[in-house]
Amino acid sequence: MRPTSFDKFLMRCRIYQLWRFVVLNIKILKAVHHEKTS
Amino acid sequence: MAKVVIIGAGFAGHTAAMYLGDAIGREHEITVVHKFDYFGFVPSWVWLGIDAVKPEHTIFKLKPIYDKFNVNFVQGSVTAVHPDENYIVLDQANNAGPASLEYDYLIIATGAHMNYDATPGLGPKKFTQSICHYDTAIQARDAYLQSVERMKRGERQKLVIGTGHPLAACQGAAFEYITNIHHDLSERGIRDKAELVYLTNEPEIGDFGVGGINVVTKGGRIAKGGDLIEDAMDEFGIGKAVRRGVKEVDAKKVYWEDFEGNYGETDYDFAMLIPQSRGVTFKFFDKDGQDISSKVCNPGGFVFADGIYGLPYEDLVKNANAWPAQYYNPTYKNIFSAGIAFAPPGPISAPHTTRNGTVITPGAPRTGMISGVIGRVVAFNVIDMIRTGRMTHRERMSEMLAVCIASNGKSLWNGSAIVMIIYPIVPDHSRYDNKEGRDMFVTKVERGISGAWLKQMVETTFMHKFRGRIGWQFIPE
Repeated sequence: MRPTSFDKFLMRCRIYQLWRFVVLNIKILKAVHHEKTS
Repeated sequence: MAKVVIIGAGFAGHTAAMYLGDAIGREHEITVVHKFDYFGFVPSWVWLGIDAVKPEHTIFKLKPIYDKFNVNFVQGSVTAVHPDENYIVLDQANNAGPASLEYDYLIIATGAHMNYDATPGLGPKKFTQSICHYDTAIQARDAYLQSVERMKRGERQKLVIGTGHPLAACQGAAFEYITNIHHDLSERGIRDKAELVYLTNEPEIGDFGVGGINVVTKGGRIAKGGDLIEDAMDEFGIGKAVRRGVKEVDAKKVYWEDFEGNYGETDYDFAMLIPQSRGVTFKFFDKDGQDISSKVCNPGGFVFADGIYGLPYEDLVKNANAWPAQYYNPTYKNIFSAGIAFAPPGPISAPHTTRNGTVITPGAPRTGMISGVIGRVVAFNVIDMIRTGRMTHRERMSEMLAVCIASNGKSLWNGSAIVMIIYPIVPDHSRYDNKEGRDMFVTKVERGISGAWLKQMVETTFMHKFRGRIGWQFIPE
């Protein structure tokens, strides 16, 4: 499914991207923890 | 006192050396043998290839790091391993002539040997460029800058980036390189002078040798991560030539065969094509001097580990446990292989044979994070063996997480990146009851400037870790 124009707007929106940066870091750390403990 | 020898100081070997040195370096003898006296941060060579980073910023000297960890360092190339008598032979040891090194445990972490000869005309000594090694990445940068100069003079240039062999791996690096070229040419104001073509052996865009990455969308539907990547390529005006196995290259053209068995050619002015990779280039000899390399390695030179080999692909996809867990050699249990050096039991992507009998299949990726994780697992198992005689650590690629960040420009202001989180790398259909065989809550693909920040953060923290600076153990591989 191709990204919509709203998705593309979010890709460029720096405030949203800052939020995604935080979320991605947490997601990756959680996934690494899950992988190490599973 | 046990003797541990590590051949290779890339992501896997260097990680193993640091964990081993930290845990048992004072009581036991840890030695690293590496061809070069530096560690190269391979992911940055994508940027080196477009002159976005200085070469010296992507490497650092190994010896000062190993001195901190009580690890011996020998610069040299291994020519033979004698596993019955537990020693290796080097052609040069710190430029002091041939030498041999005894071991109790041997870790082979030689990375990928670029097999340019598998494709006639391929490679930096012939017609195409490669960003796979430090010196060749510098050469690729110089060739790229020459192309840039021609574009500045008003000439049109065709740049072909991708894979240079039907069985090549590392499509991610090629994809990242071409998107960085797009970004760099746009910044230089000459993007309209370049035609960019991504030529790949993948069955579809976004396969990356892991069989593609399906994700759950916000609406709860399953979507192909490849769609996001394809969309980015369309936005960047990058031409797509998929399902193509490169057979030969000359000074002007790349000759390929496609999945349907049709032959064709693509002309180019600048080409960076990833070759087929090979495993170890040295031989193994038994106590009688007989070459036993075929017992230890597969025909590609990759070292057999504790996986199940020889399964047809249909059975392999159903058996995630066929992938090695502890990375010891079944014939010589004191020999471990880490990172790219271990022999995968097969490809992750479905293999394809053309009507002419050519197998076109992207190889299983084992670089970066995967190499680092295996290096850590192997180091912990060697420590276990020395301390207790029993290994307790295991991590199959079907249990392993991978985070891949494909940047599009190095800038923190107007760059971006595609972040791919894949768990597990090898689908495990017995554990995850979905078509993908993956944890769909963890597996993700997204694009934006946050990816560029993440990439920069990863580069900084990884260089910190690999330099063994304070808190290095807490930074994940």
